[in-house]
Amino acid sequence: MLSINNLNRSDFQYHPYHLVTPSPWPLMISISLFCFVIGAVLYMHGYPYSLVGATFRLGFINTAATMYFWLTDVTNEGTLNGDHTKEVVKGLLIGFLLFLVSELFVFVSVFWAYFHSSLVAAIEIGGIWPPLAIIALDPYGIPLLNTIVLLSSGSTVTMGHHAVLKRDRRYSIWGLLLTIILAIFFTGLQYFEYVNATFTIADSVFGSVFYCSTGLHGLHVLVGTGMLLSSFVRLVNYHFTDSHHQGLESGILYWHFVDVVWLFLYVAVYYWGGL
Amino acid sequence: MSDGDLSSKYVLQTAGFDARFPNTNQTRHCWQNYTDYFKCVAAKGEDFAPCKQFKRAYHSLCPNEWVSKWDEQRDNGTFPASLEP
Repeated sequence: MLSINNLNRSDFQYHPYHLVTPSPWPLMISISLFCFVIGAVLYMHGYPYSLVGATFRLGFINTAATMYFWLTDVTNEGTLNGDHTKEVVKGLLIGFLLFLVSELFVFVSVFWAYFHSSLVAAIEIGGIWPPLAIIALDPYGIPLLNTIVLLSSGSTVTMGHHAVLKRDRRYSIWGLLLTIILAIFFTGLQYFEYVNATFTIADSVFGSVFYCSTGLHGLHVLVGTGMLLSSFVRLVNYHFTDSHHQGLESGILYWHFVDVVWLFLYVAVYYWGGL
Repeated sequence: MSDGDLSSKYVLQTAGFDARFPNTNQTRHCWQNYTDYFKCVAAKGEDFAPCKQFKRAYHSLCPNEWVSKWDEQRDNGTFPASLEP
């Protein structure tokens, strides 16, 4: 038997769920993540990179590799073996939404730090925001362009998704590809801003909250781009049908999340913060 | 010597209640009076009598350490707020 399907499933189990066969990836990823975090914490506490860098790099590469192996296993089980029934897909969606909520709370904590520092500025920075001598970025410059880029990417990804629903292969590929191009464009623009800003992360609490908030968002843009890219590869390789493409939908949800967080960032940090 | 003479010569009082700073932490009260004194002097000159009220208030409220630190910052040009009127 090559794959299980709804006709033969009752030869093996009387339920629609997927009981996963033993896998080394959960243990592997927890060891890798631990190694990664230890390396990062040691570096942040002053141990030289020449000493702890190996730990950090080993942990990071292992985490990334294990993610790849785990996720390809999921793809093979679902797309090739037929284990992903409607119930299983529902479970995957719920799991992903819970993850998204946890990501939301990470951003809540960073925004909290930003508003705490900026609404009532400490006397040590002169009771004003932005602090004296900090030249905040012009919100009508690159940040506004970035807003337009992300909003546009939201519409291209919707176009791509609707094309998948309508079984239009050409437009589905174009939609997703354009979205990825816009995502890379956004990242490039942010990199340019970072390099050319007149203040660094070390420039008082302003620098800290600015780079921690926009930096955390940037990391999420990179992750979101990765999700869209992997969906693109799967789309091109005929993994998706018009009614079954949860991986793509999760990627799209994550991308909309990234877009909404940017809108909050733009209004609160770039626009209001620079007033 | 009689107490009457001394008490009429020196009036002992501290900064009055300021509704803008109702809580126990009076840091901002001290800071506000310090910056307001120097803004007042920049606008009206050192001899303008009402500015003295801010001076009395910050000398009463602020720890001397803070006052000398801020005076040093003003001299260096590193005071974190603008003292223009």
